[in-house]
Amino acid sequence: MLTANIKRSARTARKAISHIVRCNSSAVEPPPAGGHLPSVSNSQLLRSTRDAALRSPGIRWTDEDDSGPANIVGGRETRKMNTYQAVRDAMSIALMKDDTAVVFGEDVAFGGVFRCTMGLAEEFGRERVFNTPLTEQGIAGFGIGMALMGHTAIAEIQFSDYIFPAFDQIVNEAAKVRYRSGGSYNVGGLTIRTPTMSVGHGGLYHSQSPEAFFMGAAGLKVVIPRSPIQAKGLLLGAIRDPNPVIFLEPKILYRSAVEQVPIDDFSLPLGSAETLVPGNDCTLLTWGTPVYHCETALHLLASPPPSLEKHIPTSLRSASVELIDLRSILPWDVQTVEESVKRTGRLVIVHEAGMTAGAGAEISAEIQKRCFLKLNAPVSRVTGWDLPVGLQFEKFIIPDALRIVDALVKTLSY
Amino acid sequence: MIRSAPSSIVFRAGQVRRIASAAGKDYGRLPHSNSPIVSKLKFFNAVSGDGNTIPTYRVLDGVGKPLEGAELPEIDRALARKVYEHMQLLPTLDTVLYNVQRQGKISFYMTSHGEEATIIGSAAALELDDEVLGGHGYPLPPVFALTSFNRAIPRNRGSSLAYGLDNVMAQCFGNEEDTASKGKQMPVHLSSPKYHFHTISSPLATQIPQAAGVAYALRRIPSRRSRSIAACYFGEGAASEGDFHAGLLMASTIPSPALFIARNNGFAISTPSSEQFYGDGIASRGPGYGIHTIRVDGNDVLAVMSAVKEARKRCLEEGRAVLIEAMTYRVGHHSTSDDSFAYRARAEVEDWKKIDNPITRFRLFLESQGWWDAQAEEELKDRLKADVMKAFKRAESLPKPELKELFTDVYGGEEPWNLKEQRAELQGLLRKYGNEWEPWKAEIGRFRNKARDLID
Repeated sequence: MLTANIKRSARTARKAISHIVRCNSSAVEPPPAGGHLPSVSNSQLLRSTRDAALRSPGIRWTDEDDSGPANIVGGRETRKMNTYQAVRDAMSIALMKDDTAVVFGEDVAFGGVFRCTMGLAEEFGRERVFNTPLTEQGIAGFGIGMALMGHTAIAEIQFSDYIFPAFDQIVNEAAKVRYRSGGSYNVGGLTIRTPTMSVGHGGLYHSQSPEAFFMGAAGLKVVIPRSPIQAKGLLLGAIRDPNPVIFLEPKILYRSAVEQVPIDDFSLPLGSAETLVPGNDCTLLTWGTPVYHCETALHLLASPPPSLEKHIPTSLRSASVELIDLRSILPWDVQTVEESVKRTGRLVIVHEAGMTAGAGAEISAEIQKRCFLKLNAPVSRVTGWDLPVGLQFEKFIIPDALRIVDALVKTLSY
Repeated sequence: MIRSAPSSIVFRAGQVRRIASAAGKDYGRLPHSNSPIVSKLKFFNAVSGDGNTIPTYRVLDGVGKPLEGAELPEIDRALARKVYEHMQLLPTLDTVLYNVQRQGKISFYMTSHGEEATIIGSAAALELDDEVLGGHGYPLPPVFALTSFNRAIPRNRGSSLAYGLDNVMAQCFGNEEDTASKGKQMPVHLSSPKYHFHTISSPLATQIPQAAGVAYALRRIPSRRSRSIAACYFGEGAASEGDFHAGLLMASTIPSPALFIARNNGFAISTPSSEQFYGDGIASRGPGYGIHTIRVDGNDVLAVMSAVKEARKRCLEEGRAVLIEAMTYRVGHHSTSDDSFAYRARAEVEDWKKIDNPITRFRLFLESQGWWDAQAEEELKDRLKADVMKAFKRAESLPKPELKELFTDVYGGEEPWNLKEQRAELQGLLRKYGNEWEPWKAEIGRFRNKARDLID
């Protein structure tokens, strides 16, 4: 069955991989330590042309009503932005179009430690873009209060590692206000942005991925963008969503991920995954930073460097792996994942958080229930170990492309 | 507004009290409070009755001359020189490690430029077996000062100040000699049970309620009761966290000899203290919790020493918490991740360095006493620089800890199955790919024994 799948999809796989190879053969930057492999800076998953950007799947222009034809791209412009610029652009639009919108958090007024709010205080005034004291529970509670009054509160927690003092406000208040008031109150206007995931040298308290801690908090939404276009569209979607949203921004992508980003007001759908590379032999599911490690892993699988050749059976090199970016962790897009796994019969989930009670645990439980008879291999999880992120050991804790390709080989040859 | 009837009578604790009507007379008491009853509608918004700002205690003026009426702490030539040498060590160490970080040799660093008097003055007034809880932002200096200050120092290490430097460097480099975190923590996150210095956490203010618990435990240890306190350091930014309020409340309500040392240096990363609180600094909060409080000039090392010494005494005598707010100015950037000229003028910082340099202030005092001169200054600077460079070069040359440390110290007692299995999984991956996957191959070589401890 696997062989048949591989033959059917060989063309698709080669097509997907060839982009990466071409890109690398003409890369200006020196090759990364791992050899000629794609990384964030030259990823084919990033939309570097105007046309590609404007045709991002699921894009919805806010100035269009639903009646017109979809994907009207004529006359629209894009601008080259990295992720923090795209986040800033989204907040600028929210502030411009919605007079109740405010942006606040620690060190936000001077532009934020990751530069996401640069110039916003100057543009919109300190009444709308302001510093708060160092109190995450205060920030969350304040945002809930504004949202209770029907205002749009865009709060920043400086690192997601520091969100836990706000846990009570988020989980017991923001998530439950609508239910406990029988729908008479809600805090849909609240969006909490916070940087997440590792950068390689952050240690215990600048590397965590807390998405799964919020996964059981019914009433919340949890979103993680992978790129500038995604960040802008999903953030605007989150700000306008009728529910409180935790918006986790992978911090290593703030500067490294660059795309042409439509300058108009648009949103991307929450609760919806995106299939980045179609395939038929295995589903590779991830979100945030590891999206790019997965891309590298696909490349290693298709054309391993000489040193790894012996570990990648020739028969698997033309395997067609479907890469899906989950994007929303809560609610997560079970339909897209189920449909994919029913087709491929295999699922590898990658996330940076630890394995035990990570988001992958929930997903694999649900998928094995729905796809039990279609599975050709156990659902595999490539995750951080169940450890705090020890600074000097990060390269061996956070999953990289090698661990992903190793899991792909094992799963494909199970 | 309803006035009390002059003849009304309240019954309280078996007493019958007659309530008088004239102003200033006794109107009786509320059931659970000693609050006097008054007939005037009056709001208040100050700790002092007269509405004045809380004063700042100072001993030496800007040029190192004792203020009129100020009492100097007990200090002789030897102690004064020792304090000064330690104050000079901080910027020497900071300058080297800041540059080392800029060269990419360590991942992060935080300096304490401009705050030398608060750090060294407070450390000099603590006892070696006081428990110290530091925080992210001010982690390094207290332990360094303590480890090197109040100990008999082995002379064969070249110089007295070199003691402790190797430990500090080892932690910043996360090398095999890093006993503070075995390579697990970011630089300047020290810990040392030997010197009663508790492990540093990056999350802010978490140490503040912990200090209350530490102090309460000290009360319950017969040999340490009335002998040791818990000294807890944090910045004015951390005092905004809920943990600050929780910690002071716990320490005062459940009486605990905790000394809270708030270092108000004017900035929490970019946020000026004017946006951090609207009240009268951190000191105004102490009385709210019934805690003895003093505000001290944190750039005056003698004032800091006196205040901490007296505060420590009160902690022990009363078994209760004390709060010190040390007023200083963060001359350096918040950390190596920060460029403070994005939110404050370079000239402001340069001016402040000239107007009020705590090191200069104390040096002028020493010189006025005939305890210091230009030659001693030159010798000290050369020696400190040599010591720091030596420790830096040594730390740089050492490998990282054994790779197996990555899985140690998660649990005490029996290791759970998931960690056992995950270690085995990593072991298998390293055996299979360790020599072939470039990013790992290069990294493995940096660990002690080239990670053989885990691979074999």
